[in-house]
Amino acid sequence: MTDPVDATPDDATLVRIRGLTTVLGGKTIFDALDMDIPRGKITSIMGPSGTGKTTLLKHITGQMHGDAGSVHVDGREVAALSRQGLYKLREGIGYLFQNSALLTDFDVFENVAFPLRQHTTLPEVLIRNLVLMKLQAVGLRGAARLMPNELSGGMMRRVALARAIVFDPQLILYDEPFVGLDPVALNQVLKLILTLNQTLGITSVVVSHELAAVQQIADQVMLLSNGKVVAQGDPKTIADDGSPWTRQFFGGEADGPIPFRYPAGDYATELGFAGAAK
Amino acid sequence: MSARASQGRNVATNSLAQIGHCGLFLLTLLAAIPRSFRYLRETIRQLWFVGAMSLTIIMVCGLFVGMVLMLQLYHVLSIFGGTSASGMVVALSVYRELGPVVTALLFAGRAGTAITAEIGLMRATDQISAMEMMAVDPIAYVATPRFLAGLIAMPLLSCVFSAMAIFGGHLVGVTWLGIDNGTFWANMTAVVDVRTDIVNGVLLKSLVFGAVVSLIAVFQGFTTPPTSEGVAYATTRTVVASSIAILALDFVLTAFLM
Repeated sequence: MTDPVDATPDDATLVRIRGLTTVLGGKTIFDALDMDIPRGKITSIMGPSGTGKTTLLKHITGQMHGDAGSVHVDGREVAALSRQGLYKLREGIGYLFQNSALLTDFDVFENVAFPLRQHTTLPEVLIRNLVLMKLQAVGLRGAARLMPNELSGGMMRRVALARAIVFDPQLILYDEPFVGLDPVALNQVLKLILTLNQTLGITSVVVSHELAAVQQIADQVMLLSNGKVVAQGDPKTIADDGSPWTRQFFGGEADGPIPFRYPAGDYATELGFAGAAK
Repeated sequence: MSARASQGRNVATNSLAQIGHCGLFLLTLLAAIPRSFRYLRETIRQLWFVGAMSLTIIMVCGLFVGMVLMLQLYHVLSIFGGTSASGMVVALSVYRELGPVVTALLFAGRAGTAITAEIGLMRATDQISAMEMMAVDPIAYVATPRFLAGLIAMPLLSCVFSAMAIFGGHLVGVTWLGIDNGTFWANMTAVVDVRTDIVNGVLLKSLVFGAVVSLIAVFQGFTTPPTSEGVAYATTRTVVASSIAILALDFVLTAFLM
């Protein structure tokens, strides 16, 4: 059985999300979300913690499916794909996990080589050279034989990044790629993301909280809140667009349309002061 | 309905649901076997881990089980002047029951818990999700090699256990208590039947126990909540469920094979 392909795939849009609605544990994560991720560009998804940024990446890769709506990647509806179709799609997607998710049984080299060994029959010497090139790009060629438990958090993230790009996929999803990186490593990772985009035309989706980093590389920023895209635009100017969402998020204010406090009952009542106030 | 009756009903319902879920998982596992042939290296690695690495505990325990069994039997049989039959009784007890059952219990405690904890931690640290994202089927790459390794290792470990138990019995009976060496072996070979005692006793039983323990261990690992508490509970459940399954199945198999 062949997997369905959209009759009119949009050449300019690699990921198209329409009316995506997801409810988890009674909480609405996405509320008829519409989103277009342009092909060959770097798109940054920003938003407060718990707003569903990682969940969105899981929908794009078919790890989760919404209750309503659709997610199309390169013209293929993700929820309608068979297991083989989904795996075929994922072969073209690199994914950098928030917690790196390195395979703890393997050393750094074997972690990066893992996708190549599973999906290709390349000669060992070619695998070795490809892996060393990717490790060189993240500055960890010398750490090739270290085990994951011998690495710092930032180093693990860079190894995971090398693994995500080892196939030169058409789409790379970065989930918080800048967390735990020192300024030197951060700068190199930013350059790497930019180089991959500019030289190979790889589409990148960067989930991050760090506007300063995002401003250096992203072509567009989408601000996600309350299950929708509440602001969208150029990273240099989005913070100054004057909308209450961007003002609160980039200004770091507790009060505004983006909820800071988790829904709760009356504060005084919970502390037992309600009776005393009467 | 009283609270206790309601609680009992819930436990029964949950247990049945778990068994059903585990049955469906077994079907997924069996369906993944052809796909897992390409991960032969991983299966061999697991075979080393669950088989070869369990050898020490299996050999030591087998030796002591044989020794204590001979000691007990010698003192009981000496009352009737039948000490010459003690080698034979040791052999039959080990081949038919103690060999496969004790090996399976030890296997559940040593390899089963390790498999559950390993897979549970792989889930907790997103390694299983990472495999999914790299288009590598975790059932074929992680679950099936461990299941097959358990299936292959158990009969072999059971044979080693039985051999060590016989050696332990010989050590105590012949070397220490002075039973005649010829009588020890002659009585044993006269009574032990290869098909009934070795094939049905040691091999078939341990094959079934290996399948059950490996299935439970892998299933618990894959279905545990990805938290430290979840992994701790799952490893405990592996030992408890495996022990009950081994003893219950031992009765059923013995009843059918006798």
